[in-house]
Formats: sequence, C-alpha cells, structure tokens
Amino acid sequence: MKVSLSWLKDYVTIDVDVVKLAEALTMVGLEVDALVDRYAYLDRVVVGHIVEIAPHSNAHTLSVCRVDVGNGIRPVVCGATNIKQGDLVPIALPGAQLPSGHTIQVGEIRGQVSEGMLCSEAELAVGTDSSGILLLPGTATPGIGVAAALGLSDTIIEFDLTPNRSDCLSVIGIAREVAAILKTSLRYPRLKLPPGETPIEKITSVIIESPDHCPRYAARVVLDVQIGESPSWLQERLHSVGLRAINNVVDVTNFVLMEMGQPLHAFDFDRLAEHRIVVRTAREGQAFTTLDGAERTLNSDMLMICDGKGPVALAGIMGGLESEIEDDTRSALIESAYFDPITIRRTAKRLGVNTESSYRFERGVDPDGITKALDRAAQLMVETAGGKLASGVIDNYPRPIPERVIEVSVKRTNRLLGSRLNQEEVISYLKSVELNVAPLDKDRLRVVAPTFRVDIERPEDLMEEVARLRGYDQIPTTHPLSHVVASPQDKKLECRSRLREILTGCGFSEIVTYSFIGKDACNKLLLPDNDPRRQMVSILNPLTEDQAVMRTSLVPGLLATMYRNSTQRNEDLRIFELGKIFLSPPTADRDELPEEVQMISGLWTGARYDRTWHLKGEKVDFYDIKGIVDSVCAGLNIKGLRYTPLDSPGFPYLRLGHTAEVYAGDELLGAVGELTHEVLQNFELKQPAYCFDLNFDRLVHCMTEKKRARPISRFPATTRDVALIVDDAIEAQGVLDYIDGLGEELIGRVEIFDVYKGPPISRGKKSLALRFTYRSYERSLTDSEVNRIHETMTQKVLKQFNAQLPRRSA
Amino acid sequence: MRYALCSMRSEATDALCAMRYAPCAMRERITKSMKQELKRIEQEALDAIKVVSGLTEVKTLKARYIGRKGVVTTLLRRISSLPPEERPDTGRLANEVRKRLEEAFEKALQAFEADRGEIPAVALDVTLPGRPLARGRLHPITQMTQAICEVFQRLGFEIVEGPDVELDYYNFEALNIPRDHPARDMHDTFYISENIVLRTHTSPIQIRVMESQSPPVRIIAPGKAYRVDYDISHTPMFYQVEGLMVQENISFGDLKGILTTLVHQIFDEETSLRFRPSFFPFTEPSAEVDIQCVICRGAGCRVCSHTGWLEVLGAGMVHPAVFEMVGYDTERYSGFAFGMGIERIAMLKYGIEDIRRFYENDLRFLEQF
Repeated sequence: MKVSLSWLKDYVTIDVDVVKLAEALTMVGLEVDALVDRYAYLDRVVVGHIVEIAPHSNAHTLSVCRVDVGNGIRPVVCGATNIKQGDLVPIALPGAQLPSGHTIQVGEIRGQVSEGMLCSEAELAVGTDSSGILLLPGTATPGIGVAAALGLSDTIIEFDLTPNRSDCLSVIGIAREVAAILKTSLRYPRLKLPPGETPIEKITSVIIESPDHCPRYAARVVLDVQIGESPSWLQERLHSVGLRAINNVVDVTNFVLMEMGQPLHAFDFDRLAEHRIVVRTAREGQAFTTLDGAERTLNSDMLMICDGKGPVALAGIMGGLESEIEDDTRSALIESAYFDPITIRRTAKRLGVNTESSYRFERGVDPDGITKALDRAAQLMVETAGGKLASGVIDNYPRPIPERVIEVSVKRTNRLLGSRLNQEEVISYLKSVELNVAPLDKDRLRVVAPTFRVDIERPEDLMEEVARLRGYDQIPTTHPLSHVVASPQDKKLECRSRLREILTGCGFSEIVTYSFIGKDACNKLLLPDNDPRRQMVSILNPLTEDQAVMRTSLVPGLLATMYRNSTQRNEDLRIFELGKIFLSPPTADRDELPEEVQMISGLWTGARYDRTWHLKGEKVDFYDIKGIVDSVCAGLNIKGLRYTPLDSPGFPYLRLGHTAEVYAGDELLGAVGELTHEVLQNFELKQPAYCFDLNFDRLVHCMTEKKRARPISRFPATTRDVALIVDDAIEAQGVLDYIDGLGEELIGRVEIFDVYKGPPISRGKKSLALRFTYRSYERSLTDSEVNRIHETMTQKVLKQFNAQLPRRSA
Repeated sequence: MRYALCSMRSEATDALCAMRYAPCAMRERITKSMKQELKRIEQEALDAIKVVSGLTEVKTLKARYIGRKGVVTTLLRRISSLPPEERPDTGRLANEVRKRLEEAFEKALQAFEADRGEIPAVALDVTLPGRPLARGRLHPITQMTQAICEVFQRLGFEIVEGPDVELDYYNFEALNIPRDHPARDMHDTFYISENIVLRTHTSPIQIRVMESQSPPVRIIAPGKAYRVDYDISHTPMFYQVEGLMVQENISFGDLKGILTTLVHQIFDEETSLRFRPSFFPFTEPSAEVDIQCVICRGAGCRVCSHTGWLEVLGAGMVHPAVFEMVGYDTERYSGFAFGMGIERIAMLKYGIEDIRRFYENDLRFLEQF
C-alpha cells in the first residue's frame, strides 16, 4: 500500500517530519517499508535560462538554444515554438530519465550537438499540458532543480500492511491512524450530491440471486456523461500513488478506491442488456472475457455480475471487456457492493488473478462505507464528466452485517498487558481510532466496533488497540513468576547430544541437508522394488524435481555432499547427519501422517589422517569406519554389540563382504561398510567411500545409563600370547566369544594383536595372534599357575576351531 | 642421541666382561688396558654429557658411569684384584676420573635444573605444524539452536519436538488460520495432500503440547520448517525455534522480559530491542521484535537497510481462539508464544551473507564454526 504525503494532508494536518511520522506509524503497527521522494526522477532536470535562440541551419522546424544551466552553457536543439531568449525553462540534462522511460543523452540532431532536452509539463509528469515547453517563473535561478523551482515536494510512504488491517488500504484509513498518533482530528471529504432528475428505479434494477455471496449491492446511474481526460488535480492524485489516468469516469472510481478503500466498478449503462443488474453465480464451464482480454473458464462457485442476458463482470475482481467504459460511453452505472471475502478469495485464487479490488474484498471492506463511496463517486463523476445524476439510489442489503458490540474490562486489559492504565486512558486510546466507547461501570467498557474495523471481534483485540496506541515500548518489561519444576532429561535429546559429542570428537563434521530429495534416489541406492523406502511421501508442489519427495534415507544426502565437496576439491571428508527420514503409511488413508524415523549416518572418504608433513596419505578403510561405530556404541554404553557379515536386503548400497550389520543383542541397529562401486557411480563419484547408517531411535532404545564401578586389582597382571592357525573363514569375534563363554575368571581380557595371511602359512588359513591378560583380584599369580590355565585355554580353543599352533622354527 | 648412549654402554660393558673372564696370563695387559680404558670411558662420558638433551638423560647417564653399579665404580672395585704395584696409580687415576665426572655431571644437572627444559643442541623446528587430531564441527545451525535452547533451559523451559509432515489442522486451523483466510498468503505451503502439509512454522508444536498437557506450560521447540521460497535470504527448508509459556497471570510485559533476556544472552547486554505491533492469527496482541543492528549498532547500514533495526522475532499473547481449540480456560490462563528463524540469527551472529550456504555443506564453510 502506497500513499503520498500530499494526499494524506487533504484529510489530516501533519506538522511533523515525515521520517518521524513514518517511525510512529511503524510503531503503531503500520510498518513503513520505504519513504520515497516522489520527484526523485526529476533530479537531473534543472532550471535553464535561454541566453540565445537561433534557427537550426539544417531544419526549419527546429531551433538551437544556448541554455545557461548554472554551471555552464549548453547547446540544445528544440522543436517548440513557445520559447524566446530570456525564458526560464526546465532542461533535462544527459542521464535524466523522463517518466516516459526516455533517457536523455548527448546527441547530434541534423548535424547540431544537443546536450539536453527542454520539457513540457506533461513530459515531466507535473501537469497535463503538452502543448509547449513549460515556462518557469522569473524568480527561478538557473541550475537549481526543477522540482524545487516549481515548489514540488512530496513523499510516497510505502507500507507493508498485515492482512488484518484492511481498514488501512485507503488514504483515509491511513489518515485516521495519523490523526490518532498526532492527537488531531480527521477531515472527511464533504459530500454534496447534485440533485437528480430521472428516478433510478425507472431506468434500472438490481436483483441479488446469491445473497450469501453478495450481502449488499448498491448502484447509481449518471446519464449523459462526457468521457474525456480527468482534470489535472485528479490525475495528480492518481499519479502520486502510482496509478495511471485512463478517463474521467474510470479515474473517479479509482480515486474513490484509493481514497476510501471501497472498490467500485463503472459499467457502460447502455451496453447492459435490459439496463439491469443480476448478481448470481456462474454456470459451470461458462467462458468469460475480462477487461484485460483474458478468456476465463468459470465454475458454479464463482460470483458474477450479470445484465439481462449474461455476465458482465467477475464480481469484486475484474470487469468484463464488453461493458467497459469507452470514449463513446453516454451513461454509467456505478456499482458499490460488499462481496463475501471467502467467495472472492476462492475465485481469485482459482483464476490466479489478484487485483486492487479483489485484494480489498478478500480482506473485508467496510459494509457501511458502500453508499458513502457510491455517493462520493457519483458526485465526482458529475463534477468531472458532466452529465446528470439519476435521482435516488439502489441499495439492496439482503444480509445485513451485524454490529459488533464488545465488553472489555480495564483490569483484565492491564493484567494481560502488564500495564497500569486507568479507565479514562483506555477510553481515550480507543476513541482516538473512532471506536464507540461507553463505560458500563468502573471497570468495564462497552465498545461498538466501527464497521471498517473488521479485525475487532473480541476483548483481546481491544487490548491490542490500547497496547499499540499506547506504544509497546511504554509497557513495562517484567519477568514472569513461575513454579520451579524440572522436567526429566529426555532420553532422545541426551542421546543426540552424546552422539554429536562422540562424532565430532572422532573428527566427523555435521552436515544438514534438505529433507526432500529427488524421486530417483531409491534407484540410485539400488533399493529393491519391495523396499519400504520406495514408498515415498511426495510433495504436490515441489520447487524442483530433485526436491520432489521426502527422503527415506540419509545416504543420498551424504553422497550429494561428497559430490559437492569433490567438485570443490575437498576430497578428504568425514561427515555425518542426524535427521529424520519419512516412511509412507502402509494404508491408503489420506490423512495419516508418515512415520518419521530418526537416523544417524556418516561417511568417510579419502585420507585416514588429516594430510600433514609427516604423513604420506594413507587411505581410510573398513576398520576405520567400524572403529567409529565402536566408539559411538561405547559412548552410548550399548550392551551386546556385535557385527555380522552383511546378510539382510536392507543395505544394497553397501558392498558385500566389506560390510557388517550392527546389532545390539538381537536388535539390528544398522550397517557399516563400503559403498558399492555402482552406487558411487550413480552419484558421479570416483573415490571409495565408507559409511555407517544407523537407526537413531533404536540407538536410543539400546542406550544404557547404568554404570557401576568395579574394583581395580592391586595385583600385577601377566600376559601370554598365542598364535592360532585357523581357517580363513573363522571370524575373530567367534573366537573371542568362545573364550569369553568359557568363563575363566582369571582372564582379565583377550585381544587380537595380529592377523597374518601368507607364507609360510598355507592357503586358506590365517594366523590369529591373541594376547591373554591374566589377573586375580586376590593374589599375585605364579608363573606355573598361569602357564597351566593358559595351556588349558589354548587346547580348548585349538579343539573348538580346529586350529593349530605355528610350527616353531629352530 | 639414544643411539649414542646405547653404543657407549655396550663398549663399557664389553671392557668389564673382558676383564672378568680373562685368563691370568693376560692380567698385565689388562691392567694397562684398564688405565687406557678409564681414560677412554672418561672421554666418552664427557662427550655424552655434551650432547645430552634432558635432565632424566643426565641422571641415567650419571647412574651408568658413577652410580653404585656404574662402569667407573665397578672398575674401582676391581682394583683390588690388580697386582699391588699397579694399584696406587690405577686407583688414583680411577678416583680422579670419578671426581671429574662427578663435577661434570653436577654441572650438567645444574644447567638443566636452571633451564627446566631442553637444551637447544639439536633443536626441533618448532614451527612445523603439530600432528593434528581431527576435530569435527557441529553444523552452525545446530550450534545456534543449542545456544538458544540452552538459554531457555536455564529459564526452566522444556525442549519438545513435533512432526515435520503435519496435518493442516495443526499447522493452520488450530492456530486460528482457517482455510480461505488471507493470512494463509503469509505461508507459501508445500502440500502432501489436501489435509497434509510440510509444516510452515514450528507453531503446530504449541497445539500438540497444549492438547496433551494442562497448564502450566513452558516449552521451547526447535525444528525444521518448509516454505516454497528460494533466494539469497530464503531456502525451502529452514529452522525455527518456537517458545510457549502458559499459566495464570502471564503478561505482555513478561514476554518482553523473556525475549530481552534471550537477545542479551545471544548477542550482548548492549543490544537494544524494539517491540512493534504486528499480526499473527494465533496471537493477540502480536508483536514483531527488532534488535538494534548488530553490524552498525543502530547507525544504519546495508544489512539493516539503513533503519538501524533488524527484524528477528515474531511474538504475542496466545490468542483466546487457540486456547479454545485446545480446551484451556481463557479466563484463568494467559500465555505468550514466540518464534524465530535460526538461520537469520546465525547469519547476523556469524556474518553470513547468503542463507543457502547452510545447506550446501561445503567443508570450507562448515570448518569455520
């Protein structure tokens, strides 16, 4: 919404600086977006003094002037005939852009250099006269700006209004707020209707067939109008808010729209079949051409203004091409109506049109302003386009909009706001914006909301009025008094922060990617057809194809991030994401929300250690990424952690034989391993990458808090090493689990310290070197005792795994 | 250095071994060689002291040469086994050697104790980069969210969350934004179906919480939100933090107090706030909260469009229609709600100019936080 300061001043006396005013408007809730100098476009148009004028040597209709522009004399070629030596005229200097869009340049006209252009009133858009160069008063000094010389100064105030304040979609609406801020009164325009002759009922009628969509419809008719240009004051006002002048009748409707906020429409009365108006909904599928020339297909929810034969306007949105006011229009019917906001909004949305008119009807116009605006337009039309007003008015109001009476307590107002206002103050704030207020008792007030304030419905709305007019900054800042209650720590939040700590500690950086991905992500991950992750939640109106569905895995985001970084030559990555995936509900119920599962997934590619002077760029491998999962599970104190070779179909993007499934007891937490070559190729990646993909919700479930301290033995430990030659297929974990299962109390720990394949060990076998640590909590163990136990353990393991001891070399 | 010590030790021990197991016929030769050996050992020890690099090494060295089981000490003990005529000379020499070495060690010990450090004899290039242990970073949005949530946790607010894919009812209707309301224009919504949307703000969490618990309520709800928008200051997915406090006697002044605390803790105590009237269908009165521009301190700059103020928060007193929706007693309870965009705060705090950086996840960007 834009208003000009000059127009505002028609209704309210403004004696403060416009910058201060704008700030005050913002602080009462009408946010001022910008203050624009209306004549800024005249910056490079200055007063010039014609010191010499001579005919052009090559063109007899042109003359060449030498013009003093304050800081020098410039030659200007000009075709006008109303100038002479000594005149003061506006000259547009090179670089000036005129309202027509034309930019002035230094040029040559028929061999004669011209360094500017002398302008008419119309060319500068400061008036309507285009017959000759504008002659400036003799007091103007050459070189000063033409706006200053003409005494032109105006500011356009641009508002970013909230949707509740439809009352401020007019100059008078803004002026009302200004008057409240400046504690002055509003001057409404004086209405003086010319006497009418022919009674309106004799020449036309209005029938409302859809009163729910059109609660009120009023009309007047002006006969024998003379279509022409509007007077300059009217054009001036329209220009000041950025509207184009069209003709006197249309300009009047636009003027009243801007002035009072009531959209009006003028029909060519003689082109209305049977000279009458019917308000009804459209026929399904009916076509209609609006005055912008677009043919639109209607449906039966859309409200139309019709004549005796058919539609002539899309109610409240746009007139029709057929009944438009044209140069030969003799009589005009002016429509002023209240249309149901929802009807207008639905129609405008469906047809994809948004007009000054629909914008206001959607937000609600003043139902009592209908006839005021109609009368104002009728008066101005007769004044500017001549003609005779038909006497009387048609005002059909089948569904009266009820008056809103609200009771509000001053005490409650103070309690909600935290203020200490007395009743008198509250009354004065409410009255300042024309609310009708009367005290009911010492505390309560009875308020009748004015019809233009469609946003005031409840006591709280009035409390807001008080607060904003008082100024939010005047309300004391306090701190709430509250009971001290500590809520228990949420396990998910706890788990999340521990995961973030562990992973950043392991050198992984967190990434955040969009929750939506492309439809092809499942194909790229090689997910089988029956994978539940293929049931994606689709967005009906995605921004782009690669953001069309909600993700069902975090892996595509990791790979896309790897790709993006690889293009930037960030080839060593350790990243993770903690976020939701969205699984479609299995049923076809349209209102069932998808299951949101939280996942934690990470990717490691490139170097094992940060590249630096003493390292030679070792590459990450499976055991590196597995170590991360180990750390994660240890940090979460997960019991019964075990890894098994990839077996289930849930991880087709991970390489068989290089991937482990991760279990806590029997619960599958996810997988860790190397991404397959094919998947990497699908994401245009060349470098091997390792990933873990774990279900966060299950980690939370398996996370344990219990930690109990064990005593530390005072007695020394003894170690014994043994190397076992076993079949290659024997899994290390099985060996460790077996030893653990033997339950020998004196074994403190068993670790694998070497794995070796190759000569002299025969093919298909490997050497697994174990270190046993023996320790007692009660005494020092003797060598012989340890040797005995160790021998027993060794024999059991050898037997269990069909293993051998290495042959001793001599 | 370590290599030098080892080799020296082995030579000295070789000499001893040679002596211990030598046949009698060779004794004389050994006596002569014992004098030479003493001189050689002295020289070796003195050389070793010159290149030694720390206190512990000096002590070890001292123990090896003149300690109770040291090389020189052991030789001294063996003097009794020499022919009597040889004993005085050799003994004198041995004692002299021991004395000189004692002095030399004492000097070295004193020097190190005074330095309490390392001698620069074989100095390292200390300007070479250290061996880094990789350090991961949390995403700046996570860091900012945590910082904001922590302020509220200190104030006794509980962190809650809600679904990203949300029913139209929670996202709009229960928040007093019926279908066909112009306020829906403020939200460019992603639709899943007619009744399911990607939440356009974190406010639906308010409703879910109030539906499931009665007052008092003190929550802070961080999460993702989605709107159909993409440019230098908008991404289709972004983060918000929603706050809600409901109990008896909560006032607009209290809202001002809580948000002032937040801004002062996130930015600093000097950052002033400005509350101005605005409109949200689910609050009444509603406020838009500006903070003094953190770049120019209110003087006016490009970031604040020369106004001196930056809009960072939307807030207000919970609308009675919302309380009615969740069955709260509007006579008894009042409350405030607020919401803010995390990226916006992070951009101001860290000086990030383009919101899209957050979601590109370029490591060169992430590693700055």
